[in-house]
Amino acid sequence: MSFFEFAKAYPEGSSSASRMAYTARHLGYCGVIILSREPERIFMPEAALMIKGIDVTFGAQAHASSPRALKSRIGSLRSRFHLVAVRGDSDETIRMASEDPNVDILIHPCDARRSMTIATARAARQNQISIAFDLSPMIHLRGNPRARWMEALHRNLQLMRKFDISPVITAGAVSHLDLRSPRDLMALAEVAGFDPHEAKEALRLPGRLLEYRRRNWVGPGVEII
Amino acid sequence: MRSRLPVLRSRRRYMIFELDLEGDSSAIQAKEVMSEIASSQFSLFGDQGASKNRLRLISFDGRAGIIRFSHDHITETRAALAAICSIRGIRAAIHTKGVSGTIKSAREKYLPRLDKLKYESDGRRIEREEVSGCVIRTHGVKVDLCPDDRNKSAGSDTEYLGLTSFDLSGGHEDADGTADGL
Repeated sequence: MSFFEFAKAYPEGSSSASRMAYTARHLGYCGVIILSREPERIFMPEAALMIKGIDVTFGAQAHASSPRALKSRIGSLRSRFHLVAVRGDSDETIRMASEDPNVDILIHPCDARRSMTIATARAARQNQISIAFDLSPMIHLRGNPRARWMEALHRNLQLMRKFDISPVITAGAVSHLDLRSPRDLMALAEVAGFDPHEAKEALRLPGRLLEYRRRNWVGPGVEII
Repeated sequence: MRSRLPVLRSRRRYMIFELDLEGDSSAIQAKEVMSEIASSQFSLFGDQGASKNRLRLISFDGRAGIIRFSHDHITETRAALAAICSIRGIRAAIHTKGVSGTIKSAREKYLPRLDKLKYESDGRRIEREEVSGCVIRTHGVKVDLCPDDRNKSAGSDTEYLGLTSFDLSGGHEDADGTADGL
C-alpha cells in the first residue's frame, strides 16, 4: 500500500515540511512529496528527513511568467529534482507543459469554462505525463461552486479514460489540517466521480513514478545498475 | 416491543474518528461536531442521500468520537467526514480511524486506551531568521506557533503555523519522530 501525497511546505504553506511528513505518516502514507515553487526556500528541509518511517521527497513545481520562461525553468529543475510538476494556471501553460517530456505531473484545473482539450490529452499521453487533480475544492467549497467543479471534473475524467491517461489525486495540502488519510481521499474521489480502482491507482502512481525517476538512466532504455 | 422483524432490521456500522483542531479542542461540543457532520452530508448528498444513511453520533470526548451509520454507506460517510474543513469557524480536520460492526469492537480496535501525551500550553517565544512568534501549544514533537507576521499563514485559512520540534533544533538526530525517541 505505497500511497504518496503531495504537499506544500512553509513558507508557501502554513506547516513545515517535517510537520507535513509527521502528519502524513500518522495518516498511513508511505511517502510525501513536498512540491514548492521555490524549493531552495523551504524551511528546515533536513528536519523533514529526520522523521523516520516515511519517505520524504522534495520535488519542484515549475512556475514562470511566460511559457518560454517556464520551459527553461523546467529544464533547469529536471536535473536537480526527481519530480517536476506544473500547475496549469493558463491555457498556454497547460499546452506547453503537456508537450514537454521533462514534466512528470501536470496539475490540471477543473474549470467548466476551461475543461481539458483533446490536444492536451493526446500530448500528455504521447509524452507520458500524468494528470493530477487537486481535490481541495471538495473539502473547501460548498454548494454551487463545488457542483460546478465536480461537473468539470467529470468532463475531464471522460477524456482521461478515452486517452488512457493515468490520473493522480491529491488533497492539495498547504497545511497539515488539509491532509486526509488515503482511504478518506479515495472516498472523496469516488464521490467526485472516480472509480474505486482508479482512485487507488491514482494514489499509488506518484510512488511508482518516483521509483522510476530515481533509477540512473543515461539514455532512453539504458540504465546504470 | 420490537417494531420490526429481525430480517428487516437495518445493519449498522460504527466508525471511530479523531478530531484535529487548531487551538483548544475541548472548546468544541459534541453537538457542534454532529451539526457540522450533518451539514457536510446534506451538502454532498442532499436530503435524499442523507435520509438513507441514518448517521448518528454515539459519543464524543473532545478528541475522538464514534458515529453510527448504515452498513452500505461507508464511502459516503468517509467522504462526508473528510469534506469538513472547519467547525464553528475554527480550522479542523476529521480523520477516520476505522470501521467496525459493534461499538465494543470499534472501541477495542481503534480507540487509543492510554494517551500519555497531552497538549501543553506554552508561552515560549521563538526568534529565528525565517520564523518568529509565540509557541501556542506542544503535543509530543508537534508545535503550534502563532507567527508575529500574520501574513505568513495566508492562503491556508489557518491561524497558527504547524511545526515540529525538529524544525526548532529540539530534535535529536536519532529521534524517530515520536515522543519516546526524543
